[in-house]
Amino acid sequence: MIVEGAVLAIPRANIDTDQIIPAHYLTRIDEAGMGEHLFEGLPEGGRYLSDHPDATILVTRENFGCGSSREHAAWALKDRGFRAVIAPSFARIFHENAYNNGVVPIILPAQTVESLLGARRIAIDVANETLSADGGAPIAFALDPLRKQFVLGGGFLGYLAAKIPQVRAWEAARG
Amino acid sequence: MPRSLFAKVWDEHVVEELAGGNALIFVDLVVAHEITTPPGAIAIEKQFDDRLYAPERIVAMIDHVAPAKDAATALQAHVVRTWAKRQGIRFHDIGDNGICHVLVPERGYVAPGMTVACGDSHTCTLGAFGAFALGIGTTAQAGAMLAGCLVLQRPKVMNVELAGTLAPDATAKDLVLTVIKTIGFKGGTGYVLEFTGSAVRALSMEQRMTLCNMAIEAGATSGIVAADATTAAFLAATPGNPTGWKALQADPGAHYDAHVVIDASAVRPVISWGINPGENAPIDGVVPLDAPAESLSYMGLEPGQPMTSIAIDQAFIGSCTNSRIGDLRLAAEVLRGRKVRVPTIITPGSQLVRRQAEREGLHDIFQDAGALWTHSSCGPCLGMSMGVLAAGTRCVSSSNRNFPGRMGDGGRVHLAAPAVVAASAVLGRLAAPAEIVALEAVPA
Repeated sequence: MIVEGAVLAIPRANIDTDQIIPAHYLTRIDEAGMGEHLFEGLPEGGRYLSDHPDATILVTRENFGCGSSREHAAWALKDRGFRAVIAPSFARIFHENAYNNGVVPIILPAQTVESLLGARRIAIDVANETLSADGGAPIAFALDPLRKQFVLGGGFLGYLAAKIPQVRAWEAARG
Repeated sequence: MPRSLFAKVWDEHVVEELAGGNALIFVDLVVAHEITTPPGAIAIEKQFDDRLYAPERIVAMIDHVAPAKDAATALQAHVVRTWAKRQGIRFHDIGDNGICHVLVPERGYVAPGMTVACGDSHTCTLGAFGAFALGIGTTAQAGAMLAGCLVLQRPKVMNVELAGTLAPDATAKDLVLTVIKTIGFKGGTGYVLEFTGSAVRALSMEQRMTLCNMAIEAGATSGIVAADATTAAFLAATPGNPTGWKALQADPGAHYDAHVVIDASAVRPVISWGINPGENAPIDGVVPLDAPAESLSYMGLEPGQPMTSIAIDQAFIGSCTNSRIGDLRLAAEVLRGRKVRVPTIITPGSQLVRRQAEREGLHDIFQDAGALWTHSSCGPCLGMSMGVLAAGTRCVSSSNRNFPGRMGDGGRVHLAAPAVVAASAVLGRLAAPAEIVALEAVPA
């Protein structure tokens, strides 16, 4: 799977999920339309998006997605067309939510991320775990080997559904 | 190898070790509320014939927006209500409800050694009972409801040893804000914080919940406290009165991936001045001289400014952090016979807390002081309803997050313990309760 596209760089650390999508948009029973409100809680968030309307790859600084567990943050990115987020670190819950929604969370050293903040386009080979910025030399990264399968293959819920007999057997043995 | 408490709870729930340090972890209890549950419940209905792993392992309630504020939130509540009824799931509707992290323990749904998951980051609150409790996304919650388990990376464990004795004017809120300041606002990422030490043993269950509640604010997967006689006494007094649980303890010399010691006796009452909970200072201190420009700019503060010079526009006592009966009693002690100078909203954590407060007459004290006494809800903590801030206005709050925009676009939040919020409401600026007493002692 190759993910290729224009870059949106937001050179800020600690962008929390309230900034990605404020709580007053969490009032739907489905995921639809979240992208319209992406980064509304971020100072100048709207400007970032209007300057890069076609961006599909987000490059940002450490601790992205901290705070609230709201999966709406991943839905909003996905709905707006984002396929990957590149950062030095992610908060745990967002990291899981991103995988579960096919938004590939890529962790790279801070120095590498700094250099990617200036990239125009990035091509990501998800299966082989390499990326290239503006046609440059390949940069290797490591994905969670299990969660990568949720992105490349069937979804997370299908994976878990297949485990139900095993879970029931485990529970019965536990007593 | 001698094991931590967390390691024991984890090991007892591993169904299968998976690639990449992941494991399939059995979930004893799923907590489901109206904001994050509906898409998952609907996905299971559409894709998996509405079959849940075990409806009896789920408890559901209306907590965030109670009652609904508009047609959209009414639909969220309706979906959870009809789903719970159809599935035979224990359900707490408005009137009998509360914030999930307050309601679940007070009803006795959680017990030591359990695993608990909920689509809400503050689920770590329940670690106070020696459970492994964590916040997850909607899809992961759907997975737990569908297949009874989670896929998790095994977290590292940090022994957060709180030594000594907390001073009489310091609370669990001051303790946890100090922990976050010490290890850093992302210093707990990838860890479970195992709280140990004499100061933890001395805390009530309500205070342990406040401590564990904000583990997520250091980025941690959860917090956990070993069960003891305090835990047993609390649970025995709940309607659920869970029995048959084991009080797991860390082995002597247990392995921890990190160890931090904090002298609890040195913890002072603190208030946050910045835009994450780690940015806090003693109430009698100043905004730090080296505070980041971004934090100062958002909060409208100057470095070196005395904390007690910061005027406020609103006060809020509530949220899953500090809305239990003990919190309300402490606030009432300050507000008794006094008047608030700014709009003050007091929101109990559950309807049971509300009724207990009213039996004790606390609602009269609050309303005599000029505060608004509400029913239970998450309210303005997350900028959703019942007291959202206007841009540029400043609120002192007993809640857990002071991120930009958290309580309303452009709103400024100062986090503090309930008695400090009450004292600040009385003086119209950030203040410690002792300051009011001192001011009143001065003849006019």
